[in-house]
Amino acid sequence: MDPTHLHLLLNHVPTVGFGIGVAMFVLGLAGRSNDLKQASLVIFVGVALITIPTYVTGNAAQVHLQDRGEVSDGKTEGMVTLSLIETHEGAAFLALGFMEVTGALAWLTLWRFRRTLNVSPGMNGVLLVLSLATLGLMAQAANVGGMINHPEIRGTEDMTTFAGHLGRIAGDYVRDTPWTWIAAETVHFVGLSMLVGVILLIDLRVLGFMKQVSFAALDRLLPWAMLGFAMNTFTGMLFFAAAYGQYVNNPAFFWKLIFVLLAGANTLYFTFDRTWALEPGRDAPMLSKAAAVGAMFFWVGVMYWGSMLPFIGNAF
Amino acid sequence: MPLALTVFFVVLGVTVVVAIVGYLIDRSAGHESKEGR
Repeated sequence: MDPTHLHLLLNHVPTVGFGIGVAMFVLGLAGRSNDLKQASLVIFVGVALITIPTYVTGNAAQVHLQDRGEVSDGKTEGMVTLSLIETHEGAAFLALGFMEVTGALAWLTLWRFRRTLNVSPGMNGVLLVLSLATLGLMAQAANVGGMINHPEIRGTEDMTTFAGHLGRIAGDYVRDTPWTWIAAETVHFVGLSMLVGVILLIDLRVLGFMKQVSFAALDRLLPWAMLGFAMNTFTGMLFFAAAYGQYVNNPAFFWKLIFVLLAGANTLYFTFDRTWALEPGRDAPMLSKAAAVGAMFFWVGVMYWGSMLPFIGNAF
Repeated sequence: MPLALTVFFVVLGVTVVVAIVGYLIDRSAGHESKEGR
């Protein structure tokens, strides 16, 4: 399986998977069921994570088609145009942004829920509007993407959406202006420090260090780690959009993504782990300790594969 | 030099915005339910 196959496999998740999540959220609101709402929020977070590899494998599929000479710059009978692919990329770029914001707010709501045992009406409204907008944008991106692979639904005129070629505009801007890449790289390291710093503190406490510190006190730092993760997702996507050619055939990049997904799933586990409610001086259960070891392994793996980008895959 | 200053102020601006967002999130979690534990 190569990234092109992966794109065909994954590209239904942000539409169908997210649609199921939205339906569950609406049912949860209508039936006033916190369980349904929580389940839908987990789906939002999971789909937001999976949308990242869905997006990046899209550019890999583009490069694959171009290498095979199946993309034309103008209108050639039976061939897909570069403009249509970039329209798909632009719609997906905008939808990805909405998806990541929805996923981040869904995680924050889950985190707050276990402290307050409710979801505020305001947050319910924000999540509803945002998730519906995300679903609409994702459906639009999927519709244009379908035209690339299905000539039978392709019109005679090139398809456009209001996002235009947003992915290319953003990517080219980062590539062509001198300050953006350097600034994004610096922000990427600030985000990394916030993320790994907080995660390491929590993991060490779970493993039995600093027993006088309560889990609840450290748990309160978790949103700072997620802010770091959000900064790194944003800046990481800017790097990718600017120079996707350096990443789509780079094994280190795909290993980094796998470790990001595993680390993200691990963080989601800690959002539900009951350890956080233990009093100071108490020891964490073995399962939580195993998850903490997993978290440290996954995040070190993310850093390792990130550092290996130029050395294994010849990026930069 | 202008490049270094531009990058410095952009990073400073982003960091300040993130700090404000983090502070607001932390403040919103201030009232904990006893049942939540």
